[in-house]
Amino acid sequence: MFGRHRVALAVAAGAFAFGGAVGAYGADSRASPEQVDLTWTQMVLLLTRHTPTYSPPVASRTFAYLSVAAYEAVAAGSTDLQSLAGQLTALTPGPQRDTAKSYDEAIVLNATMSAVVKAMFANTGPTGQRAFQAQLDKLTHDTEDGVAPDVVASSEAFGAAVAAHILDWAKDDGGTEVVNMGFPYAGDYKLNPEPGHWVPTSTIVQQQTPLLPAWGKNRPFAMPADLDCKVPPGVTYSEDPSSEFYKQAKEVYDTKNNLTPEQAAIARFWADDPMLSWTPPGHWINITMQILERDHVALEKAVDTLMRVSVAEADAFIGCWQVKFIYDTIRPLTYIRKLIDPKWDTLINTPPFPEYDSGHSVSSAAAATVLTSIYGDNFAFEDDTGSKDNLAPHNFKSFWEAAQQAGISRLYGGIHFRAAIENGLAQGRCIAAYSVNLKTWK
Amino acid sequence: MRKLASLAAFTALCLSAVSPVIADETLKMGVVPSFSDESESSGVHSTYKGDWQYMVGGGVASFDCNGDGFPDMFLAGGENKAKFYVNQSTRGGPLKFKEQQSGLELDSVTGAYPIDIDGDGVMDLVVLRVGETVAMQGLGDCKFERANEKWAFNGGDSWWTAFSATWEHGNAWPTLALGSYIDRTQEIDPWGSCTDNWLLRPKAGTAGFDAPVPLKPSYCTLSMLFTDWNRSGVQSLRVSNDREYYEGGTEQLWHVDAGKPPALYTAKEGWKPLKIWGMGIAEADVNGDGYPDYFLTSMADNKLQTLTTPPVTGNVIPADFKDIAYPLHAIAQRPYMGTDLRPSTAWHAQFEDVNNDCIPDLFIAKGNVSAMPDFAMADPDNLLLGGPDGKFTEVGDKAGVASTQIGRGAGLPDFNLDGLPDLVIVNRNHEAQVFRNTTADAGHWLDLKLDEPGGNRDAIGAWIKVTSGTVVMQREITIGGGHASGQATWIHFGLADMTDAQVEVTWPDGTHSDAAKVNADGFYVLSPGKAPQSWTPAS
Repeated sequence: MFGRHRVALAVAAGAFAFGGAVGAYGADSRASPEQVDLTWTQMVLLLTRHTPTYSPPVASRTFAYLSVAAYEAVAAGSTDLQSLAGQLTALTPGPQRDTAKSYDEAIVLNATMSAVVKAMFANTGPTGQRAFQAQLDKLTHDTEDGVAPDVVASSEAFGAAVAAHILDWAKDDGGTEVVNMGFPYAGDYKLNPEPGHWVPTSTIVQQQTPLLPAWGKNRPFAMPADLDCKVPPGVTYSEDPSSEFYKQAKEVYDTKNNLTPEQAAIARFWADDPMLSWTPPGHWINITMQILERDHVALEKAVDTLMRVSVAEADAFIGCWQVKFIYDTIRPLTYIRKLIDPKWDTLINTPPFPEYDSGHSVSSAAAATVLTSIYGDNFAFEDDTGSKDNLAPHNFKSFWEAAQQAGISRLYGGIHFRAAIENGLAQGRCIAAYSVNLKTWK
Repeated sequence: MRKLASLAAFTALCLSAVSPVIADETLKMGVVPSFSDESESSGVHSTYKGDWQYMVGGGVASFDCNGDGFPDMFLAGGENKAKFYVNQSTRGGPLKFKEQQSGLELDSVTGAYPIDIDGDGVMDLVVLRVGETVAMQGLGDCKFERANEKWAFNGGDSWWTAFSATWEHGNAWPTLALGSYIDRTQEIDPWGSCTDNWLLRPKAGTAGFDAPVPLKPSYCTLSMLFTDWNRSGVQSLRVSNDREYYEGGTEQLWHVDAGKPPALYTAKEGWKPLKIWGMGIAEADVNGDGYPDYFLTSMADNKLQTLTTPPVTGNVIPADFKDIAYPLHAIAQRPYMGTDLRPSTAWHAQFEDVNNDCIPDLFIAKGNVSAMPDFAMADPDNLLLGGPDGKFTEVGDKAGVASTQIGRGAGLPDFNLDGLPDLVIVNRNHEAQVFRNTTADAGHWLDLKLDEPGGNRDAIGAWIKVTSGTVVMQREITIGGGHASGQATWIHFGLADMTDAQVEVTWPDGTHSDAAKVNADGFYVLSPGKAPQSWTPAS
């Protein structure tokens, strides 16, 4: 609940109606802060798909900073929420509101989130820049229309200050600079020539080195930096047909070759390829947004939920990338073509980085853990994330059902062994606990 | 100058050639070509200018409209007026052009393709625009007038970016494909707003077209090409799409069979989804199997597709292509010179044998979309020299065509009729560039034109086979492909050290002309049932 700004928010909240990215505003035609929150998050989903550097780890980082910024902006004016300063790694206390001034929450959020989006997507293409500006123009008009100039000024200034604080926090986390779309130049990365280690799986020149090998060294958000959520080694590499490794490869081979239509649909539903989708973290952000929209969740809970999911996702990718470059495991495609069937192919694209553990599994388990902590077990929902790409919506009885399906989809797709999925789910659950344990409500 | 009175319309093509893999040690191969930048002295001063709506497009049409055999030029201007230049070059001399009022000086032009739509032997032009595409009827002597109403040509209102044409069997008028891009009214979420491509078929019993048929689904197209990919005698429509803007999209191949609605090739027929930033299509028989291969431009890695299953005569050929760009060194994914190592952005691509060694070479225009910092800004155009082993070698810098301007469309006509393909490049927000091919040690050559009676004067859909010694070269005559750029000039073959060749034509109706001997270093007009007619340009 907001204190002295309650009146301004109440006006907007009274007009609150989600309905897509920018839904109907209601009688006063002003955008509510909830709409501002979801609209900018939706824009980030779009820009994530259409910005070349936005691989899944990079996307998870941006969602985290965006949602933390939104949370801090709202918390600063809320009597019920408290700042994450001192809880998230290296986040210091941010700007405080001037008690002598009035603020409008929608304008504050618009200023905060737009500034973060602009900075995080400075490298997007001309269409993304055009879309960003059009969105900003529209939301600026739709939030400021009819608001007193002094309130507009104080709100914009405060929002900008929050954004600057968050961007300053972000700049030295290790993930700011993404060179060559995240792929080390030839000569800057040495492949391990020993059997069982990752080798490139495509003829795309850029992908002859793995994606973002140092991402696991980034500063995490809520979890400790030292891989507290340890993951056991995967199955010991062997080319012996009686070995467990061979058996797991044979499972991938047989499963993919005998896929049911439902399994194939599941694999495609969760494919989440970068630049062709909103990526895996974006997929879970969109699941969260669908629920917030469906249930008309109020602002404070909305920013809290998006922040927790995003922080868990970002930490999941950092933790997963730590594991990937410790074990540096060969992909099923390489193993199967070498030992089982040289003409075999996967159903979906094999990602250009080591196999173990499964990023989809880690990140999906992390998101499901957070969402279950907020909404409980057996929370049914429909996920229409792939609808624009002609993928039918999927209905789930719980977040965990969705997470487990996301995990096994990678086996159906032919790109992960079972061990990477099972241990990945466990790692994600462990990592998410740090986000769940953040203290947000006073 | 000697006029080509009856030969004014040259065969429109976007090029194809050659069976290069026969390594004959007697042939003169691998000569690194050289080009002279004559942009300043050529008299061409045209800039493709514009903001967001002109980030794509920027084409050039090359064709002869005054019957002297020398290719003239029409250049898209975007926000500038398009310009027409008459070719005043002399044979073998410097490239000289003069801007001339032609009726083509339209605004909002993105590209253009020459095509003799009405079959009168005078080249017409389809002018792609942001807005309405305009069919311009050639009146002779390089004068044109709008013919949309006269021909019932519906130019729509779209962001038009691609074109191709074929003559369906039995038709005197062509079937046209128009490719469009994004719904330009969508600002906040333009992604997924791809507007419909159109198929315009001739209306029976009239001198014009029927209402457009939308090619649904359409996926933000930047290049289209009617091509007889399986040598069935019927051209299908290959469509290259920009994955940046479609949702659920892919590259496409359409059946366009006479009397039937257009239909997409399916997975059952072998067609596999391919998602690229498709920007241009170039065709050539790179591996010498007698079937077309396709170079597809994109961002970063480009694709060179060939049939996955070697075709067997009499068998149904699956529409299944595999990418051979990597093993043939044709990926051209990033700058090959300078210090800018970021990925490239490729647009127009065109095969042509620029050093006349019987092997198709590949020119690629490069240029950043619009200050995209993750892609190279200093992105040199490529000239990939085909080698006898089937592999390509980059020689753009050595040949003098490594322009780092923001390239878009291009063409490789032989502007001065010396038997060496020259080069014009359209750049975004910078003047077009003109390069003269000055290769000293190039091989012999052969330039051909097809001329058949009826509506399809330039025999679009024909295949030319040139045989000399152990070398067999085959080339399909097409309209379309590239990036917003069409070329209707002499059909060029390099002959290396060979001083003569046998030429055969499989005409669009399936009839086959007997092999006829022609001498190297000459121009010939080929017509059904006639001996090759020699032609000599004015010097």
